[in-house]
Amino acid sequence: MSTLPVKQNSKPFLSPLHSAAALVPRLSSPLFVARTLKVLAASDHGYYVFESELADVIPVVKTSIAGTRIVGRLCAGNKNGLLLPHTTTDQELQHLRNSLPDHVVVQRIDERLSALGNCISCNDHVALTHPDLDRETEELIADVLGVEVFRQTIAGNIVVGSYCAFSNRGGLVHPHTSVEDLDELSTLLQVPLVAGTVNRGSEVIAAGMTVNDWTAFCGSDTTATELSVIESVFKLREAQPSSIVDEMRKSLIDTYV
Amino acid sequence: MRLEKCWFCSSTVYPGHGIQFVRNDAKIFRFCRSKCHKNFKMKRNPRKVKWTKAYRRLHGKDMTQDSTFEFERKRNRPERYDRNVAEKTLMAIKKIDKIRVAREARHHKMRMKGKPAIERQAALTELEKSINLVKAPASLLQESQITPKIKVKIAESQPVERMEE
Repeated sequence: MSTLPVKQNSKPFLSPLHSAAALVPRLSSPLFVARTLKVLAASDHGYYVFESELADVIPVVKTSIAGTRIVGRLCAGNKNGLLLPHTTTDQELQHLRNSLPDHVVVQRIDERLSALGNCISCNDHVALTHPDLDRETEELIADVLGVEVFRQTIAGNIVVGSYCAFSNRGGLVHPHTSVEDLDELSTLLQVPLVAGTVNRGSEVIAAGMTVNDWTAFCGSDTTATELSVIESVFKLREAQPSSIVDEMRKSLIDTYV
Repeated sequence: MRLEKCWFCSSTVYPGHGIQFVRNDAKIFRFCRSKCHKNFKMKRNPRKVKWTKAYRRLHGKDMTQDSTFEFERKRNRPERYDRNVAEKTLMAIKKIDKIRVAREARHHKMRMKGKPAIERQAALTELEKSINLVKAPASLLQESQITPKIKVKIAESQPVERMEE
């Protein structure tokens, strides 16, 4: 299995993502589920970038949620589970359940705030949530995703899922986050955090990029400076997916023909 | 596509029918037809409106608790698709429907069980009260004034001997 070349993480992406970024002003379509396992992509033009980069490493699942293509902003997931809004149709739910491995719990939540990607930001161990989330939802998050849940605001914004993006190795938050807030969040999440921007100064981090343990995808407007910041905080330069994916190989392959 | 229930009358809303209203607290109200929608806008409580399922369930007219209702609950954690399971489920759906219909019929029968006795009792009281519709009050009065026949006990007489011819 080929290892991903490191340089791809530092290249700004090609025009298809730019058009996706123009139509939906943020790169809101993809979602890395299970951090290392799968990508859920909207099933139109943006996805083939993901397919071309990731298809030989992890499965790419094309789906819609609630009939929309903004999958990344509507659902939240990590290696243990995937949370979906109540507007998800039964057919989409079944499709996701069939495409994901069995140890990933797929759960639909009845919650007033249905854009779960904007309300929940999580990695494999910790989740930050919108402070107005229901208590039952919080319990479900802790149960399905297997994480410790913290209700927090970031730089005064309650929509934590869109203003920060973090993985198991590092995190990027809203540029106006104060130093004390940054330290507090860092201790909560146990990962190094950096306040930065994406897509040429956009503060909405998670809507402009998607990240997992060994790779990140950013909108084509991202400057080289921003990209270098992202690379350094998420430690992508040294990360090789081969080692991680080799461990995961058993769960990726059902049978050898 | 999903067959939803009308919020007001609990009938199924098929695709292409009805109206959905989303309130500011993000609660969705689905209505099967304008009748239910207009009743909702009038702020009527479905539990007080006689023809709704909510009323009927509340007042014991229809079955409330039954294990067949558990099968229709909305599930939020799907299971992986399995063709055999799907096949069996389709067969089970038909059977469960039949059983549910049979149980509802039985519930209705139990509800109507004491009806003949009640009807008879009602008829008797009706007869007493409204006897004036059948017999004129004057004749009733006459009847009550007629002295009843007096029965007198007579000692048994010897049988008459017949003359043999």
